Amino acid sequence: MLEVHDLNVDFSGKIAVRNTGLTVRSGESFGLVGESGSGKSTILRTVMGLNGSWSGTIKVDGLDIRKTPRKQLARVVQMVFQDPYSSLHPRYVIGQQVAEPMRINGLPNPERRTAELLELVGLGGLKFQFRFPHELSGGQRQRVAIARALALSPKLLLLDEPTSALDVSIQAEILNLLNRLRKELGLTFVIVSHDLAVISYMCERLMVMRNAQPVETLTRDQLRAGEIANDYTRTLIAAA
Amino acid sequence: MSNLVEIENLHVAFRNDEGGYNDAVRGVSLTLGREKLGIVGESGSGKSLTGRSLLGVLPPYARVSVDRMSFDGIDLKAASPRLRRSLRGGRMGMILQDPKFSLNPVMTVGKQIVEAIRIGDRKVGHREARARAIAVLESVHIRDPESVFNLYPHELSGGMGQRVMIGMMVVREPDLLIADEPTSALDVTVRTQVLSILDELVARRGMGLIFISHDLNLVSKFCDRVIVMYAGRIVETIEASRLSEAQHPYTRGLLSCLPHINGSLEPLPVLNRQASWAEA
Repeated sequence: MLEVHDLNVDFSGKIAVRNTGLTVRSGESFGLVGESGSGKSTILRTVMGLNGSWSGTIKVDGLDIRKTPRKQLARVVQMVFQDPYSSLHPRYVIGQQVAEPMRINGLPNPERRTAELLELVGLGGLKFQFRFPHELSGGQRQRVAIARALALSPKLLLLDEPTSALDVSIQAEILNLLNRLRKELGLTFVIVSHDLAVISYMCERLMVMRNAQPVETLTRDQLRAGEIANDYTRTLIAAA
Repeated sequence: MSNLVEIENLHVAFRNDEGGYNDAVRGVSLTLGREKLGIVGESGSGKSLTGRSLLGVLPPYARVSVDRMSFDGIDLKAASPRLRRSLRGGRMGMILQDPKFSLNPVMTVGKQIVEAIRIGDRKVGHREARARAIAVLESVHIRDPESVFNLYPHELSGGMGQRVMIGMMVVREPDLLIADEPTSALDVTVRTQVLSILDELVARRGMGLIFISHDLNLVSKFCDRVIVMYAGRIVETIEASRLSEAQHPYTRGLLSCLPHINGSLEPLPVLNRQASWAEA
C-alpha cells in the first residue's frame, strides 16, 4: 500500500530524513516511533506532498506520488494531524469541514455522506453538523478530523500523533474508534507516536527512528517478546 | 508551620451565557508540605484553576471564594494584590505546559532569565546576573549554556525550551513550584530528564511541588501523594505508591484505559461516567 525507498528530506541544509525506506502492506497498521525531530512526522508529511524538497521514490497504492495529480492522490491517502484545535477551520461548521473534500472532488450527495461519516465516528444526529469547532471538546474535534479524512474513502490513513493532545480517557475512545474503522473499512494505517504503548496496541509492525534515520523495524511480537537488537529501542521501552 | 500551603473550600466560577455562574472548582481543600503533590484529572476537571488560584493569576472575571488559603503562614485570602505579586516569581513559581507559548519569542532566553533575576533583586549587576543565568542553565542540564544563552526560543527544541522555563522559575529559588503539565509536550526520554531535575530541586532545596498532569501513571511514579479531581471536586486523595489500590471508580477507570506495551489487544475500556461522581 505504501512503499518508500531511499527517502531523503532536508530543510535548507538541515537533514530531516536520511536514506529511509519502508513498506506497508495493504490492511496493515504500521507504527513510527521516535523522539521529536527524528523525522517520523516528516515522512508522513512528505507522503502527503506537504514537503517540497525531497529525493527518493514514494508509491502509494502503486501510484508514484510525483506523477500522480494531487486530487487523485487525495482519494487514496489522507492524514489526521496531532492537534485537532488547529487542524480544523475555525469558521466552518462541522458539516462543512467534512463535506468540503467531497465538494472539491465533485462527489455526489455530499450532505448525505457527511451525515453518514459523522454517524460513523460517533457524532451522529443533526446536533453536531451545525456546530463550530470551538464548541466541541478535543476528542470530538479529533473525531471530526477523522471523519473529514475518510470523506474521500481513502485506502491509507496517515495518523500523526492522533491522541497525544487528548486526555487518556479520550485517547482510549479514539484508539477504539480507529481500530473499529480499520476493520470495517479495510483501511491501512501508518501511525506516528512517541508512545510505545500506543504503538504496541495499535500496530502489527513498527519502525524506530532516531536522528533522521531508521534504527530498527520490529513486529509487535518481537517488541513484546523483547527480541530487540538495538540499545536505543531498549531505552525507549524502559522510559515508556 | 508544618504545611507550606493550606487551602480550604476553594470555589472558582465563571459567568455563563444565561447570566448565572458555572462552578469550575467546587469546594477543593488541600494541604502541601515540602513534598511532591500530584493533581490528576481530565481537561476541565479544575486542576489548573486550583493551581492558578493559589498563585492568584486567575482572570479578573473569575469569581473565587475560599474559606482559607495560606502559603507559608501568609494569609493569601487577606493579602493585598501587591503582596501577592511580590510572592509570585520570588517565592512561588509556575511552569506551564508549552514553552513555545510561555517564553517571550522576541527575546533571547538568556536575557529573559537575567530579567527574571533582576526583577527579583535590582541590586544584582548585569555581569553577575549573567553568570547566575548561565549557572542555572547548567543546573537544568543544558549542554553549552553559554551559546544557549544567546538563542531565541524558536531555536530551541521542546525539551530544551522546557528546561529553560524551569531554569527561569528556579533561579529565584522559590519555596513552591506549580508545574502545570510540564512534560506533556515532551518526548519520553526528555521527560525523564525534566522529572529528575524537578526531583533534585525538591530533594536538595526542600521545595514544595504541585505537579498537575493528566497522566496517572507518570504522577504515581513521580509524586509522593496524588489528588484525583473530577468535575471540579477532589474524588480521591491517595499515597502515590498505593495508587493501584485506588477505590474510586473514576480513578480506576483512568488507570485501566491506558494501553500497555504488553497489554491486551481487545478494545480498551472506556470511562463509563456516572452522574454521582460529580456530586458531593
